[in-house]
Amino acid sequence: MSNTDSPALNGIFIGFLGGKRSGGFFLLAVLALVAFLPFVLPNKFYVRLVNEIMIYGLLAMSLDVLLGYTGLLSFMHNTYLGIGAYATGLLLIHLSPSSLWLAMLGGVIITCLVALPVGWVQVRTGGLAFALLSLAFGMMFFTVAWKWYGLTGGDDGLMGVPQPDITFLGLRLASSGNSTAVYLFTMFIVAFCYLITWRIINSPLGAVLEAIRENEERASFVGINVRLYKLIGWMLACGLAGVAGSLYILYRGYTGPGSMDAFSGARVLMMVLLGGMRSLWGAVIGAAIFIFMQDYISTMTEYWEFFVGLVVVLLVLFMPQGVAGLTGLLNRGPRGK
Amino acid sequence: MSGSFATVVDIFLNSMVLGGVLLIVAIGLNIIYGLNRVMNLAHGSLYALGAYVGYTLVALGLNFFWALFLAPVAVGLVGLFIERVFISPMRHRPMVYTLILTYGLMFVLDGAIKFFWGVETRFIHLPAFMRETVYFGSASYPVFRLVILIAIAAVMCLLMLLLGRTKMGFNMRAASDIPEMISALGVNLRVVQISAFVLGCVLAGVAGVLAGPLFTVFPIMGHEMLISSFVVVVIGGLGSLRGAIAAALLIGFVQTMAEFFISELAMVIVYMMMALILAFKPLGLLGEGKFE
Repeated sequence: MSNTDSPALNGIFIGFLGGKRSGGFFLLAVLALVAFLPFVLPNKFYVRLVNEIMIYGLLAMSLDVLLGYTGLLSFMHNTYLGIGAYATGLLLIHLSPSSLWLAMLGGVIITCLVALPVGWVQVRTGGLAFALLSLAFGMMFFTVAWKWYGLTGGDDGLMGVPQPDITFLGLRLASSGNSTAVYLFTMFIVAFCYLITWRIINSPLGAVLEAIRENEERASFVGINVRLYKLIGWMLACGLAGVAGSLYILYRGYTGPGSMDAFSGARVLMMVLLGGMRSLWGAVIGAAIFIFMQDYISTMTEYWEFFVGLVVVLLVLFMPQGVAGLTGLLNRGPRGK
Repeated sequence: MSGSFATVVDIFLNSMVLGGVLLIVAIGLNIIYGLNRVMNLAHGSLYALGAYVGYTLVALGLNFFWALFLAPVAVGLVGLFIERVFISPMRHRPMVYTLILTYGLMFVLDGAIKFFWGVETRFIHLPAFMRETVYFGSASYPVFRLVILIAIAAVMCLLMLLLGRTKMGFNMRAASDIPEMISALGVNLRVVQISAFVLGCVLAGVAGVLAGPLFTVFPIMGHEMLISSFVVVVIGGLGSLRGAIAAALLIGFVQTMAEFFISELAMVIVYMMMALILAFKPLGLLGEGKFE
């Protein structure tokens, strides 16, 4: 399970987050700390930055389920964040301007409905073709979001999204126009998704996914329906990305095709690489590092693209531990091996 | 009647031109994949680089045909650099590393293109005779598109001669089949692999210069072409040259038809078709790895 540079450090974290009792305490401590932030940070800007980190942390985590645990590479996982955001936004505009939960649930369901046929086609092909197809389908949805002016608002994006109240069990808590309320709401949803995902990954289902990653052929020999389980992994990842998308539209109040382009896909991939694959909290940490770094570099240069690419190249060349353990993935390795 | 005849000629020639450009890009990808087992995601950016170098050469006063010869050489040199510095250390690692690595290289190249040439759209200036129109009966067609079609055919013939009639071509085809055997026969496998990588990059450069006058030159022109050539490669079967030819012509035709009749969402039709083909033939039309 260990995949970071220092096995000792990793052991501590596994002890904290994966252990029987201490994991829950550690998570609660982190939550308390994060919940405290909006009240001590001097600037609303940083509150929004941490909010964005949580959303992208959830997205990176969902990609990690696919890449780290199931061994499937998706280049444009942000597509499903985009679909979730558009779907939730459209539901808020046209169907349920007053109920946030209904719109979010609908958004996630629509994301899953879109992801299902795509996943069905993708899992029928091999590991490499899966990756290439993820790029092709991602570009397709990007084109749709960009060109279908009537539905998505095209280049301008989806504007005028209403801000319903955040309620819980019929109790009105706050308006979603309040950034601190959105921040806390995002935190609870992301923490909830983290727990659910952690539970699934450490269940027999998670073991099956890892078996497929390690050796697809052997997994099928012991009677695992490889395509079915790959599809389950894919749907789990896309559903989580849909949740991230519905939080995204709540946080920004707007979404455009920009969040669905290839470059954003590379950013998500890089968050997972930075944090180290096969570790859910790693993905969240990766998102935090990346978003802070992006915020810093983009104020200094307009050729941000170049540097992101360079960092990806350097990471793969010199920090392969971040990508360790993917031996079963795309099992047609290099020649002579 | 004459109107419909002109339309048919138009669609036919346009789909041949589009299919031809797709074919050159996709065959480059396939040659690299067939010998190196590397799917080069920076291929689209190398194609854009070819177009930009071609644009600069023509802007400096060179003839279009000289640019068509020189720009691919420059792209080939960039390809050689990429192979030596980035791809070579990855040779014994699983494919996912090179996928992510070349994805990073794609953004590095795109950033470099924006740095050197800016983000404005550029136009490659053509010689006078290529700016005219030729008439067949009631149909008319721009000369430069015909010239490009002939150039594509010439490039493909050269490539077939190279692969079919030269020692290097024999070695490449053999190495794509059983690399250990070619080493055992005393051929330096590494040299064959490197030359295949460079050849693939040269082809991307050729396609870039040819596509310049067709689609104009802009920084992310490579992205669209990369995706389209993936579609060709996946439909035709990974590493399969014959599959690529069939798939490129098919995609060229479908995309041209879709652009003609519904314009905006043409690519969606292409992806739908790809999904349909893969649903029934998961390994593509001709299966995997027939490198001949």
